[in-house]
Amino acid sequence: MKVTIPIGPQHPALKEPISLRMTVDGEVIQDADIRLGYNHRGIEKLAEEKTWVQNIYLTERICGICSHSHATCYVQGVEKLMEIEAPRRGQYIRYLVSELERVHSHLLWLGIAGHEAGFDSFFMYTWRDREIVMDLLEIVSGNRVHYAINTLGGVRRDVDETQRAKILGSLDALRKRTEYYLMIGANEPSFVGRLSRVGYLSKEDAVALCAVGPTARASGVAQDVRKDDPYGIYGEVPFEVCTADTCDVLGRTVVRVKELLQSYNIIEFLMKNLPEGPIAVKAPRKAKPNEVVSRYEAPRGENMHYIKSNGTDKPERLKVRAPTLANYAATVKMLKNGFIADIPLIFAAIDPCICCAERTVEVIDARSGEERTFLFSELRRMACKRFEKFSQKRNAAWPF
Amino acid sequence: MAVLRTILYLLVYPGVIFLFVYSTFAEWFDRKVYARLQNRMGPTHTGRWGLLQPIADFVKLMSKEDIVPERADKRLFTLLPIFGLAIVSTAGLLLPVWNFDLAAPGFTSFPGDIIVLLYLLSLPTLIFFLAGWSSTSFFSTIGATRVLTMFFGYEVPLFLSVLSPALLAGSWRLAEIARFYQQKPFLILPNLLGFVVALIAVQAKLERTPFDIPHAETEVVGGTFTEYSGKKLAFFRLMTDVEMVVSAGLLATVFLGGFPGGALLGFAQFVAKTLAVIFFLTLMRALTSRIRVDQVVSFSWRYLAPLAVLQLLIVILIKGFLS
Amino acid sequence: MKIAAFLPELLRHLFRKPATVDYPFRKLKVPAGFRGTPFLHPELCIACRACERDCPAEAIEITSVGDVEKKFKMVINNDRCIHCAQCVDSCPTTPKKAMDMDAEFEIAAFDRHDLKAEWIFVRAVQKPRAAEPKPAPAEK
Repeated sequence: MKVTIPIGPQHPALKEPISLRMTVDGEVIQDADIRLGYNHRGIEKLAEEKTWVQNIYLTERICGICSHSHATCYVQGVEKLMEIEAPRRGQYIRYLVSELERVHSHLLWLGIAGHEAGFDSFFMYTWRDREIVMDLLEIVSGNRVHYAINTLGGVRRDVDETQRAKILGSLDALRKRTEYYLMIGANEPSFVGRLSRVGYLSKEDAVALCAVGPTARASGVAQDVRKDDPYGIYGEVPFEVCTADTCDVLGRTVVRVKELLQSYNIIEFLMKNLPEGPIAVKAPRKAKPNEVVSRYEAPRGENMHYIKSNGTDKPERLKVRAPTLANYAATVKMLKNGFIADIPLIFAAIDPCICCAERTVEVIDARSGEERTFLFSELRRMACKRFEKFSQKRNAAWPF
Repeated sequence: MAVLRTILYLLVYPGVIFLFVYSTFAEWFDRKVYARLQNRMGPTHTGRWGLLQPIADFVKLMSKEDIVPERADKRLFTLLPIFGLAIVSTAGLLLPVWNFDLAAPGFTSFPGDIIVLLYLLSLPTLIFFLAGWSSTSFFSTIGATRVLTMFFGYEVPLFLSVLSPALLAGSWRLAEIARFYQQKPFLILPNLLGFVVALIAVQAKLERTPFDIPHAETEVVGGTFTEYSGKKLAFFRLMTDVEMVVSAGLLATVFLGGFPGGALLGFAQFVAKTLAVIFFLTLMRALTSRIRVDQVVSFSWRYLAPLAVLQLLIVILIKGFLS
Repeated sequence: MKIAAFLPELLRHLFRKPATVDYPFRKLKVPAGFRGTPFLHPELCIACRACERDCPAEAIEITSVGDVEKKFKMVINNDRCIHCAQCVDSCPTTPKKAMDMDAEFEIAAFDRHDLKAEWIFVRAVQKPRAAEPKPAPAEK
């Protein structure tokens, strides 16, 4: 007997609203339907009304966990539009914060995987060790989330000797804890029993459905923007792309833990080889008319920003393609023929950052069940026509 | 006079009020140890050391709005928490806490009371199933079916492992079993395998990690308790706490030698031994992650049941040896 | 695969102090450079409106309250402020910036309008850059 169960938009397993409607037969999922749009905030429209500098902070607030990814991707694109290049010391500091953010995001994900699997002790320990990284980020940038260390042409703050020593000193503690978690993750039988052979995505499917990030790398696809299309200083920093071949949630866990260890090596390299010099160059107010696509390897995968300028101090168009949006198609494939009990883990394994992925609005007709996507101009016309009918609302006083 | 004493037994000690106070204390102990194992603080600010936190949670739930789903069977929906609490409280009366003198036992100690206790403890599973079923919401139904599926896994090992020491002692009466092990304490050792099996099976009965699939928050919202709120949910939570105390008391009686020594010393031993059992249950809760319901059944039949049968064999051999 | 690989670590934690900081009874010190609430040094401000232009949240409002004596009023709406410190970066005064950031983050209030901070000041004169010393007048 086929039943459709809704997971979300409100559900304790989801940190953000998204609707997954599964058609199930007993405990086995036959089909999954993902509906987006609950977290749409109109960021791309708002970006057209703010200047280049103000948009750094706006793009940062697309997401809390990968805030620096969006800000850096944007700033890289705008620096290309303005034809300026950040000095080497500035770039080193910028990508130091990038790697620290990758560490904090993967430790957060390990905790969430433990929590979804019911392993709450693991969750508490990984988040306690994540506090070391949050303190480092607070010292370097002034805030634990939304670091705001980027500016057009470089970074805003410098890293002095005490901060450098503290970062290098914390790496030992972090390495020891990460290796302990690798051992636990591989050896705790109930945890491994929950993770292995769950959410299978073969290599061909991962390539065909355009999966990105650790989701694709756990299926053996060695795809990493830092190696394929090096931006910033990644051309000179030695590191390896981490893959696994188990193609399941356990593989994704292993890939993320290996990436943690790689990030520690990168941070050590950056801190030991920090060049002297200025941290920023002055950026002009206006950018020449042009368009640019900027790619960045966020903790969740490949992040793309398309920016178009028209000669003024505000962008003409900003389009964000977050990595989670690319992984949704792969998620539907992974959910098919899985158990209901595995839904939270499969969904959590792509590291969903739903607020990153909300860019369109879909309208579903409740009576006929059909869906249409509306253009903004159409919506505006419909709203004006409706508004004319209710004339008394024209003089309504806004509450604030 | 006897009527007054009976009413006092039923209401105050070791009846409803004692079980209420002691089970909230046991829940505090469980939460505090669980938090300390995870490097956290646990309840701290409600009352000294957070002792009043479970009572505060109970009072808060009692004061919340009580919503009954439209399509639910109202009478069944309302009566189930009360029945559940009554059943586990009655089971609590059968523990030999104050039956410290076999010469003058209370009216709750009789041959066969271990079977009655085990039967009363297996009724809450049906209560949970009916609670989920009568809620008629999709998540409750999934939770209810999972409760029954798990029942087919852990019940047999639990019965086998709890009845092994009774076999060795040669009696079906809790007070006599306790006295047997008080007189021959070294005979507790052959029953250790059964103790471990019983601990795991009790963890499954109480639906705590790794067996908390029926009401796992991240999967089925609330499982059997999704639609319950207010006073009914308060009673269900109290029922799980009392069930934990009664199961711990049963394990302490049968495996750890009961609570000898008169009124005061016996009560102190009751507290100490049940807290020791609850400590092991909490350790298990912090140690593992949740396993799927089909994995519960296969784990029970592949490991727990054979180990319980092995324990039974050991007991039979020793009994033959001794006689 | 080891059974209970986690157990020694768990038991060790029973005897350690909890990692929790008992806020608000104990508070952690914030590091230097922490971005708290912005505030103005009114004697240094030259009312160039760079901070007002660059604020992403439009939280700074500078109005003129006295044209003759060059009096200005700056209102910082701390309910709109996103604590990014771009105003501090944009402030051009030297050697010390007029906009500054303190370490206050416990600024919650019940009413949004209680979070406004106001300064009324006379516009400072920007110190001229150290010019080349004028050649000494020829001694008669």
